[in-house]
Amino acid sequence: MNNQIIFYPGTLDEKDGKFIQMGNKCKSCGKTSFPAVELCPFCCSDNGEKVPLSTVGTVFSFSVTRVPVGPYKPPIIGAYIDLPEGTRVFGQLQANEEELKTGMKVKVETGVLWTEKDGTEVLGYYYVPVETKHGGAE
Amino acid sequence: MRDVYVLGIGQTVFGKHTDLSVNDLGAAAGLAAVKDAEISPKEFQTAYCGAMHNIPVVGESILRRLGVDRIPIFNVENACASGSSAVHLLYRDIALGACEVGIALGVESLSAYARKFGKGLIGFEEDHEAKLALTMPSFFAMLCNRLMQERGATIEDICYASIKNHKAGISNPYSQYKKEVTVEEIMASPMIADPITVLQCCPQSDGAAAIILCSEDFYKKHNKKENRAPVRVAGSVISVSGAQDSSYDPLALKSLIDGAKAAYEMAGIGPEDLNVVELHDAFSGEELAAYEMLGLCKPGEGVTLARSGAAEMGGRCPVNPSGGLQSMGHPLGASGVRVVADIARQLWGEAGGYQVEGAQVGLAQMLGGVLSNIESPVVAGIQILVK
Repeated sequence: MNNQIIFYPGTLDEKDGKFIQMGNKCKSCGKTSFPAVELCPFCCSDNGEKVPLSTVGTVFSFSVTRVPVGPYKPPIIGAYIDLPEGTRVFGQLQANEEELKTGMKVKVETGVLWTEKDGTEVLGYYYVPVETKHGGAE
Repeated sequence: MRDVYVLGIGQTVFGKHTDLSVNDLGAAAGLAAVKDAEISPKEFQTAYCGAMHNIPVVGESILRRLGVDRIPIFNVENACASGSSAVHLLYRDIALGACEVGIALGVESLSAYARKFGKGLIGFEEDHEAKLALTMPSFFAMLCNRLMQERGATIEDICYASIKNHKAGISNPYSQYKKEVTVEEIMASPMIADPITVLQCCPQSDGAAAIILCSEDFYKKHNKKENRAPVRVAGSVISVSGAQDSSYDPLALKSLIDGAKAAYEMAGIGPEDLNVVELHDAFSGEELAAYEMLGLCKPGEGVTLARSGAAEMGGRCPVNPSGGLQSMGHPLGASGVRVVADIARQLWGEAGGYQVEGAQVGLAQMLGGVLSNIESPVVAGIQILVK
């Protein structure tokens, strides 16, 4: 198996063989921030706990970059995703360009973002549309 | 707080200066300011130098070439607001009585940066969202998409500042570009991040700017330009954003709105008193959002203001008559000093082909930095000058 690393330390925790986004829920002001940092970014409290982030959110705004950025090849769909707990997360969106829409529901997935020249796989998170069924019976 | 006056300004032509180092550029701008102020650099009691991609002790490295030594010199980095921060700190030193006179420099060589780190879009080092390809164009593309969705901006509106500012830059001898552009040319240029094309982006530039500020006493003793009306820095604010949650809208950046209000209050004026504005138009569409945040129009009416022509030469309050970052160019650390120098030039009536007739009050603004989990852009710099 190839060596694997996480694209940015502290953004994903491994639990039962799965990677999940862990944020900090502040017990003083109630805000959830991601990734967890030293103190609550909103109120400076150290009274917080690590919690998994919601896995489904909505697209606040998006852009499609048409030139390469670092290891990524265009088109690169970037989006701010708003989670039910009030946290905004930037991530890439793996979707067809035609279906992109502000307010669309997306869910988080984790996987290899890119592979380094030495074969090291760099793991991270990205979002995919929540499939909606049109027509037919539920 | 004491009154602070502008004694002299200087800058290089902005553009590609591949044969000039950061030191060459900074020394040229510094020397131009010294000549303009007609004082010896030995008079300086302190100096600040704004630069984003810095060489070590850049301010000292530049100023030794002008014989400036044995004074406190500070190097300031605050992304595109680095130069604004240098001006602000010098202003503060003089206003609070810590010194009588000093120089603020801003300098950048993106040619040198590209030689070191390669070309391409710039993300912020060590930022986790930058590692997911959040770049300046992708951030401002989202802002443009918000403008289209929330304000009904069309592609023509998004291109407005690029067209207006390229036209204005033609008469500015310091401008990188001297060429008009049309909507068709803008949209035919390569797409960077929808809807932002190359011709909606400021160019990557090399250049430097400098401003010499002083106390009223020093000004009275040393100002030799009898025909120049005294120009005061009446307000100066550096305003940093707060933590971001899902309520944030980049069309209403609190640090800029509050920073502008604080600067107006310091200066004892309102946005309706402004005759000229120089602002951060790194991406064409953002200028329309800035109209609202600076109070040039009501919230929600940035597109309407653009369509009214009020921000053009001959309009109620021309914005970026220099050509702005779109046409002037944007040597990152230099721009924050350059916009203040340009407002001084306007109030002195020395802006030549891009002079706003009768300008009495002007505002210079810069925005800098896009980071994770903080309302971006991260830093707003605002300076108000009054004749």
